[in-house]
Amino acid sequence: MFKLNLKIALRNLWKNKGFSLINIGGLAIGLASCMVLLIYVAYEWSYDKQFTNNDKTYIVYQNAPANGKIFSWAWTPNVMAKEVQEKIPGVKYASHSTYPRAKLITVGENKLSSKAVFADQAYLKILDYKFIKGNETQVLKNVNSIILTKSFAQKLFGNEDPINKTVKLENQEVLNVEAVIEDIPNNSSIIFDCIMPWALFEKTETWAKEGNWGNNMCLTFVQLQDNKFFAAANASMLGIYKRNQKDNLAEAILHPLTKWHLYSDFENGKSVGGKIDQLKIFLLLAFCILLIACVNFMNLSTARSEGRAKEVGVRKAIGSSRKSLISQFFLESILITFISTVLAFILVEISLPYFNNLLNIKLVIDYNNSGFWITLFALMIFTGFIAGSYPALYLSSFEPIKVLKGFKIKTDSSVSVRKVLVVGQFVFAACLIICTAVIYQQLNYVKNKPIGYDQSNLVQIAIQGKMADNKKLELLKTQLLASGATTKVTFFSNDITESGNNTTDVEWEGKNPNDVISFNNRGIGSDFIKTIGTELVAGREFLINAANDTNSVMLNEAAVKMMKLKNPVGAKIRHWGNERINVGVIKDFVVESAYQKVAPMIFFPSSTWGSNMIIARLNPNQNISSSLEKIDALVKEMEPNYPVNRKFVNESFEAKFQDEKLLGTLSNWFGGFAIFISCLGLLGLALFMAEQRKKEISIRKVLGASTGNILTLLNKDFIKLVAIANIIAFPLAYIIINKWLSAFEYRVPISFLPFALAIIISVIIAVLTVSIQSIKVAKANPIDALKYE
Amino acid sequence: MIELKNIEKYYANKGVKSYILRHVTTSIKQGEFVSIMGPSGAGKSTLLNILGMLEEPTYGEYHFMGEDVTAMKERQRIELYRNHIGFVFQAYHLIDEMTVAENIEAPLLYKKIPGAERKSRIADVLDRFNMVAKKDLFPNQLSGGQQQLVGIARALVAQPSIILADEPTGNLQSAQAEQIMDLFKKLNQEENITILQVTHSEKNAQYGNRILTIEDGVIKEDVSVNG
Repeated sequence: MFKLNLKIALRNLWKNKGFSLINIGGLAIGLASCMVLLIYVAYEWSYDKQFTNNDKTYIVYQNAPANGKIFSWAWTPNVMAKEVQEKIPGVKYASHSTYPRAKLITVGENKLSSKAVFADQAYLKILDYKFIKGNETQVLKNVNSIILTKSFAQKLFGNEDPINKTVKLENQEVLNVEAVIEDIPNNSSIIFDCIMPWALFEKTETWAKEGNWGNNMCLTFVQLQDNKFFAAANASMLGIYKRNQKDNLAEAILHPLTKWHLYSDFENGKSVGGKIDQLKIFLLLAFCILLIACVNFMNLSTARSEGRAKEVGVRKAIGSSRKSLISQFFLESILITFISTVLAFILVEISLPYFNNLLNIKLVIDYNNSGFWITLFALMIFTGFIAGSYPALYLSSFEPIKVLKGFKIKTDSSVSVRKVLVVGQFVFAACLIICTAVIYQQLNYVKNKPIGYDQSNLVQIAIQGKMADNKKLELLKTQLLASGATTKVTFFSNDITESGNNTTDVEWEGKNPNDVISFNNRGIGSDFIKTIGTELVAGREFLINAANDTNSVMLNEAAVKMMKLKNPVGAKIRHWGNERINVGVIKDFVVESAYQKVAPMIFFPSSTWGSNMIIARLNPNQNISSSLEKIDALVKEMEPNYPVNRKFVNESFEAKFQDEKLLGTLSNWFGGFAIFISCLGLLGLALFMAEQRKKEISIRKVLGASTGNILTLLNKDFIKLVAIANIIAFPLAYIIINKWLSAFEYRVPISFLPFALAIIISVIIAVLTVSIQSIKVAKANPIDALKYE
Repeated sequence: MIELKNIEKYYANKGVKSYILRHVTTSIKQGEFVSIMGPSGAGKSTLLNILGMLEEPTYGEYHFMGEDVTAMKERQRIELYRNHIGFVFQAYHLIDEMTVAENIEAPLLYKKIPGAERKSRIADVLDRFNMVAKKDLFPNQLSGGQQQLVGIARALVAQPSIILADEPTGNLQSAQAEQIMDLFKKLNQEENITILQVTHSEKNAQYGNRILTIEDGVIKEDVSVNG
């Protein structure tokens, strides 16, 4: 029976090639979209889960009150790990380490800038990276030692065995290669090329040696013996700052490693989500697209019921029970799902490289993973059952004598079910159109919002090695200007597109002693304002000879506002315990999120504590590539030991929109797919309706209706459906989009435009789809249809 | 074999009952060849459908081989039906997607007959109907008469005790019709299969041994024919 049914299903597919194509194609696109999204979600979900005891591992977060809010970040004092290990109950290991930082590693003439982590031995016990070579138990004991990742070792030494060979760190320390580990997987929060002992970090950066509860400078991992200790340990962590430093207001909490990547947003010191919210949207999108594809299948299968009715009748008349008919139709839907899955697979494999490129990640299908096959199989069966359920129940319900006698099947109920399904599809499609439009509006709005300086033609060059010297920098600046490649050059203590480096240690007259206000702390060189193209609002800049101006600071407008200074210029300010005078106010410019208001910022002359970046404005009259070549040559001449690290500011700035761009791109693509699949469903319904109304249309034509009249008649119903779908979609989309926008301080007002767009697009698409089909019927010779009556 | 007592069938439409069958009481014995005749709309087909358990009477009793059909559950009825009743239709009603052999096989599958026996029975039937060469053709590749032969073969292969035929020759030319009627007669006489046919043609009715005439839902006449 099974074999025969299978054969018949295949013959049916072959006989109705057009239908099969729409059906399988729609389902395959739906399945492929769903699969790509699921692979992406699984990838994000798998972050930091490659370690053996990932479920027992935690990151220490600091909750620090400032500006009336609580800021949470995974920066902790260097003494935290030791204290946690000794005093907190249930702790197995506690480690302190740096975040990956750029370090120059050389072997002979081979100079490579690497991402390096400095860590203690406990670090490798908590995060059990896979060792390829070397003695796991002995690593990081020796101060001058290093562990390389496989690919980094390859870059340094080629195919030679690197163990016990030496490399040089920053051209100073000679390190012995002790071990080689597997490359760090992309789905890790911490990605590096090499690990060096914490002791080496203390040796090279002497300030790090001293234990200081006020200086949050490293990353602390904690592994518990068992999760039953978590409540006690976490409770005990809360007061750890206060116990060690009386006036420290910060609290510490344990944040699970497995949630580090996805739950990174904190509000009032509590985890409130993060990337997981986006992931949930994608998961929902994946499910909805699949559902749309299933609905499509239902629509198309039931639309063909006329053709299948006779078979059902005959089968019942020769002794088939309803149950065996239901199983036959399920078999067919699962067969179609199977074919679609195979096709979807091909689509996924073809499109993955493109998506990886688009999303800038590396997704692969892991064919060795049993979970993958199980999910795929479950997805297939699920789709087959959902898609096949309605056709199976509907088709098997036909009464044999009625269909055999040639009665028209009563279609009222099935048509209304199908209408509901089509409305459902278009509700979803309209919602997606609206949401995508608003996402793009928001992105555009924020991108075009003035950021306070001119990004174009602005480059940043990292200050490395010997360059980090005020005199040499001044010399380099002169050379850069003289070369004609640049028109303005200045120095900055940070990457201008990055946040971080803030202080609450700023006091002024009239400050409420209980207020804690966080300032972004930046050192600027001379010509800063002119170079980046911002404005001086009041007062003056630092003197060119900054050595005579060490007592001065500058503020940005946000700082003035926050400090409530009436006469900002000349105000006395204590910055890091030193008495300073504010000499000028700079217009606000964005260094952090472009979606948030600019935070208070305090500036000091960069020569005091050194700068990390040279910022240069390219000469607009010169060819850009030759300018860049000149710059690189000059920098290389100054510090030949380091590769030149130069980037365009607007490119780095663009990275701030990564998440929203991703959301926009994905909703655009998958929204497009959803609409396309919905159209296929509509096409199916139109096909059916036209078939059903063949006689009516023929009679109308005989009575004198034109093709146009008939088209209007047929389209009217569908436009009504699409209109209803839009009316349902509007409030729904409004709620969703409002919720999404509320996360941004700067946001576009919700306008009429996206809604108008949704209704126009959906109506046009619907009319086109329906007309393609109905024009055939409308133009047909009425006699052909009436002859058989 | 079949006992009908006071069978009624009507459709209620806005409170008005339109009767199809009224007070039909009759019995049919094993081995009879009965022709049901009457003008269009008299209720012949409805009666046949009720006998074939495709339709339920609104009222009345129907005993098939001693069992009360009206009181049966659907599952039992399908079981009884699979084992004892074969249907032949005016429009043949073969499944277009199946070959001749598969069409014949279908009822055996529903009866859950094992594969080896299915094969031998199909081969047997094909042989008897001289259609071995056509077994892999699809219905639309056959003439009407050939299609009806397949229809009868399909009804016979399940070895029913009764064949219900609804104007089996209605769509056929006279030569083909004669062939079909001869076949029925042979089946009736040689294999003792009860046959019930609805027909318009006096001539076809003469093949049987009893004629029931229905007019306006009522049995008007019940006469024996001496074939």
